[in-house]
Formats: sequence, C-alpha cells, structure tokens
Amino acid sequence: MTTTAQPPARERAPAWSAAAMMTPAAIVVTIGIVLPIVILFRYSLNRYTPAKVMVDAFTIENYVKFLTDPFYIAVLLRTIRVAALCTAICVALAFPMAYCLARTRSRFKNLLLMAVILPLFVGNAVRAAGWMVLFGNKGFVNALLMGLGVTRAPLEIMYTELAVVIGIIAVNLPFVVLTLQAVLEGIDRPVEEAALGLGASPLRTFRHVILPLAMPGVIAGTILSFILAMNAYATPVLLGGPTFQMMGPTVYNQFAGLSNWPFGAALAFVLMTATLVLTVASNWLAHRGYRR
Amino acid sequence: MEQRSRDVTRRRLLKAAGALAGVSAIGGWSPARAQGANRVVLGTWGGDYSKLLAKNIDTPLMVPRKYEVVHDIGGDAERRAKMRAEARLPRGTSDLQGLSAAQMFEMNEAGLCLPVDYAKIANAQYLLPQMKYPYGVGHIYSGKVILYNPKLIATPPTSFADALDPKHGAKLGIIDIQYQFTMMAAAIASGGSMTDYEPGKARLMACRKAGAKILPTNEAMAQALTNEEVGICIMWKARAVQWQKAGAKVETVAPKEGIPLYISGFVIPKNAPNKDGAHVWLNEMLQPSAQEAFAEDMGYNASVINAKIPLETEKRIGFNADERKRLIDLDYGYLAKNDAAFKEWWDKTFKG
Repeated sequence: MTTTAQPPARERAPAWSAAAMMTPAAIVVTIGIVLPIVILFRYSLNRYTPAKVMVDAFTIENYVKFLTDPFYIAVLLRTIRVAALCTAICVALAFPMAYCLARTRSRFKNLLLMAVILPLFVGNAVRAAGWMVLFGNKGFVNALLMGLGVTRAPLEIMYTELAVVIGIIAVNLPFVVLTLQAVLEGIDRPVEEAALGLGASPLRTFRHVILPLAMPGVIAGTILSFILAMNAYATPVLLGGPTFQMMGPTVYNQFAGLSNWPFGAALAFVLMTATLVLTVASNWLAHRGYRR
Repeated sequence: MEQRSRDVTRRRLLKAAGALAGVSAIGGWSPARAQGANRVVLGTWGGDYSKLLAKNIDTPLMVPRKYEVVHDIGGDAERRAKMRAEARLPRGTSDLQGLSAAQMFEMNEAGLCLPVDYAKIANAQYLLPQMKYPYGVGHIYSGKVILYNPKLIATPPTSFADALDPKHGAKLGIIDIQYQFTMMAAAIASGGSMTDYEPGKARLMACRKAGAKILPTNEAMAQALTNEEVGICIMWKARAVQWQKAGAKVETVAPKEGIPLYISGFVIPKNAPNKDGAHVWLNEMLQPSAQEAFAEDMGYNASVINAKIPLETEKRIGFNADERKRLIDLDYGYLAKNDAAFKEWWDKTFKG
C-alpha cells in the first residue's frame, strides 16, 4: 500500500496570513518612506522666496535650475565619479577577503568575521573623525612619511577627493565583504575542485566558475556600496571640507543653510533618480554579461 | 518550583508595567508634563556656549525659581529650519532660540518671532540700545578683528585690506561658515559698504587664487592657527581670547576700516509653549552676575551697562574708547535680502 505525501492542512499558509504578515511593514513603509517622498516631490514644485522660504506653486523651475547650472551638474558628476570609484575599489578589495573568510576552516573564523563587522559598531562621523586625526598636516600619516624621509613637507590629504574616497571605502567595505561572503559560502567547494581537477588554472577557475556563481553577491554588493556612496554625507563633509562638494551635503545645505526647501527637494529627487537609474542600469548590464 | 517562581515574577512585572501605563494614560502624567509650566526649552548651539548657559544662568538663577531649563542643542541653520517647519503648529517645541542678530532679523522677517514684552524683563532697563530689538534680546557681543601670528606674519596688519591680501598666500585662512562677515570685511576693505558687498568679491577671488585656505568651522581655524598652518585670519575678538587661552600664539588688531559687531541673542518663537517662562529666562540672562561670568568664561562683552567686568578682563576682551567709535553694526535688511545670493556666490564661484 502506498500513500501520497500530502502536506498537513495546517502547514498551508492561507492568503490572509501572508497579508497579515506584510501589513505592518507596508504601513511603516507607507508612512515612513512613501509619504515623505510624495511630500518632498510636492515641495520640489514650489517656489522659493527668501522671506517665506516656500510659496505654493506648480513649477518645474527648480529642476530647470539644476539642469541649466553647470555647478550643480558638476556636483552630480563628481558624486557619481566618487561613488563609482569607491564601489569598484570596494568590490576589488572585498572579493579576496570574502573568499578567504568563506573558505577558511580556521577556528578563528568567527573572530575574523567579527573583525569585519566591528567597524560597523562605530558611526560614520566618528570614523571620519579618526581619519581626520590621521590625515591632518601634523597627523599620523604625514608624521610617518616625514619621519621616514619619504616627504619633506606635509602632504595635503585632508579636504581632498583622496581623503573622501578613502573614508567612503572604509565605511562601505564591511557591507560588501559580508554580502559577498554570504554568497561565496553557498558555492560548493567540489565545483571549484572539479574545475581544477579538469586542468583549469586558478585564474580560469575564478573567471569561469567562481565569479559567475558569485555574481549575485557581486551585484548586490555593488548596488549596496554605490547607493551608500552616492548618498554619503558625513564623510564628504568632514574629510572633503568646504571646497569638495558632493550631492548629499549640497542637498542638506539647501535645506538647512539656505532654507531653500523647494530647490533642496528638487536636488534630493535628482539624487534619488540618478542613484536609481544608475543602479538599475548597472544591474541590467551585469545580468546581461553574466548570462553570456 | 524555580520555573514557577520566575513566571510569577514576570507576571508581576508585566502587571506593574501595565498599571503604570494605565495610570499614565488616565492621568496624562509624565515627568515632563508635571513640570510643564516651569519648564523652558532653549534652542542653542552646543559646546561651551550651552555649558556656560547652564552654569551661569540655568543652574544659579532659574533653578532657585523652580524652573527646569532644557537645552535643544543644534547648529543655528538646523534650528532655524526647525522654526520654519514648526511655524504652522499651534504649539512649537522650543521657548527660546539663540541666534545671531542677523538671524534674529531674518526669523522676524519670516514672521516667526514673538514681540518681546520688555515690561516683563526688569533688567532690560540696563540693556545697551544696540542689543534691544522689538523681536529679540542681545545676550553678548564682540567685534570682528584680525588675528595674526607674529612668527608667520612679519608686518603686523592694521586693516582688513592688510589681512585679506593675496600676498599672504596659503598663510591666510578663511572660515567657510563665516562667509557673510568675510564678504563684508572684504567689501569695506575694497571701497564697499555695509549695503554693498560687491567690491569685495574681486579681492576674495584674488586671495583664493593665491592659495588662501578655506577651513570649514571656527574650531578648524583654531586648530590651524595652533598648528601654525595658518598665520592670519579674521574672527571675533572673543574667540581670539579663547584661542589665546588654548595656546594659539596670535595677536589681535582692531581693523582701521571699522569693527563689525557680532551680537548673539535670543528670540521667542511665536508658538512657544511657555512664553512667560521664556521672558523669565531672558530677564535672568541679563542679570549682572550672568553677564560678568560670560565675559570671564567666554570672552564676550556684556550687553548690559550694570555688569561689573574686572578691568583686566575688560582690557582683554573689550575695545578702547577709540575702537568703540569704530564699532559698526551690520545692515540686517541688506543681509537678509541678499543672503541666498551671497551664499550661492560663495559656494559656486569662490569655493567652486
């Protein structure tokens, strides 16, 4: 006598229970994200007057101002350049780290993982403050370089693009490492061993076996790092200083410094749209390349 | 048995928490509400200023009168944005906001300030006339002077024209957040006036091209002066006194073109929950003891004439008779009208 295995009736989740589980999160998202975005978009169509800050209107002049002003276009392009550079370096640095973490059988694996997570315990601003101590004219880096006789005069590191790129990489790296490590853990070791056993070199194994299988992690890590870098605030302000301007601080400056809420809202929307479009485009390109 | 005992404890705890929540809900009780009428929320900058407000006004003068003073700490830009955001609410979240004179003017122009009822502020009779606004009260003042390190700047400057000179190259430091005063100083050094900052722009651009350092904050400038990365800058005399105390080897010079006044004061938002408490605090702010303590601790001049500042302190922080004649007030209307354009020029052209 054979019996057909049927899942017990209690295990089948009714549709209403799924809806019940999603409702609280949906409410939080609606109130906490969607509603402010809608309000912000409405603000971006208002008009700015210094005395009243915002006058109700229905104009696209704030967007026109952005698109026709070379200064703001330059700020956006600089932000995209820095975000792309930081993301590329993060992925390049994170992959070997994540691979080692995923493959190690050391009893210190948990400690190594903690070492990756540890920087996330400290806020961005505090970490940037640490970099400020290192990068100053009389900071550790310059003292070391001058002490070793590498340079005669202190290098200008603070308030430069280099300082911002280093700071953002330091913030984003743990996120990318953890994302990649989770995916690499899921790739069976015998798959690599089979490729090596069939005569593939380690580089070929990486290119044709590991990388394609790890691609979902690479894409996720890239997206995460790119979004974080595009919207970076504390690091550009503290390490970039007054002359290195990125979109995050520029948006804030319009709201808090100039009280120009309509233009600040328009800038926020431009930043959000640019991030979204570039993320979707890079995701699409990566998937296309991956399928080939 | 042990398990049961734990259960009972947890239940008791839950019951107690529930009872407390119930009582709170029924009676609307909370420590904050219990002290509502005697609570004053003060919007202020953080750091030393907030600490000294607590040390010199809140604790010695307000607490004995059974007032609790809570500081809502933040930069003036954020607090001004908050005032604007709260404008439509019947009840705001602060009773007083600490701002510069220019910012007090700007907030009043935006219709956000309550007219000050000077009848409720007995100490206002001693207030210097320049510190008395219909919409706010001046707390302390200082003047914009030149700071220089004799080791790095061989010829002592005498004017803003000497200080904001491209010949200093990278030894000249400019503070980003002081863009209004920097533009104004450059203007009066270049034939402009308090109502025309345009002539100063070319001078500033020349300094920038020559390598002048732009530092983000006052604190960053203090560090740059101490490290001798910067040899000359313009700043409030009060800050110079603080930085000298902290080890910066700088001298101060009152510029011959005039000494622009910096006044810091307080306004009461129109929708302040405790307007009476705010007036009480303003009165205590003007007590001679509080003013004397601020002069000593922070290097700012008193805004009341009955404060007895020790001669030594007065010499250090104040201005002599000749310098007092050169104190000049800003044209706040001109600043408020053009501030957005100035900031845009500063960010896009000067720093860009």
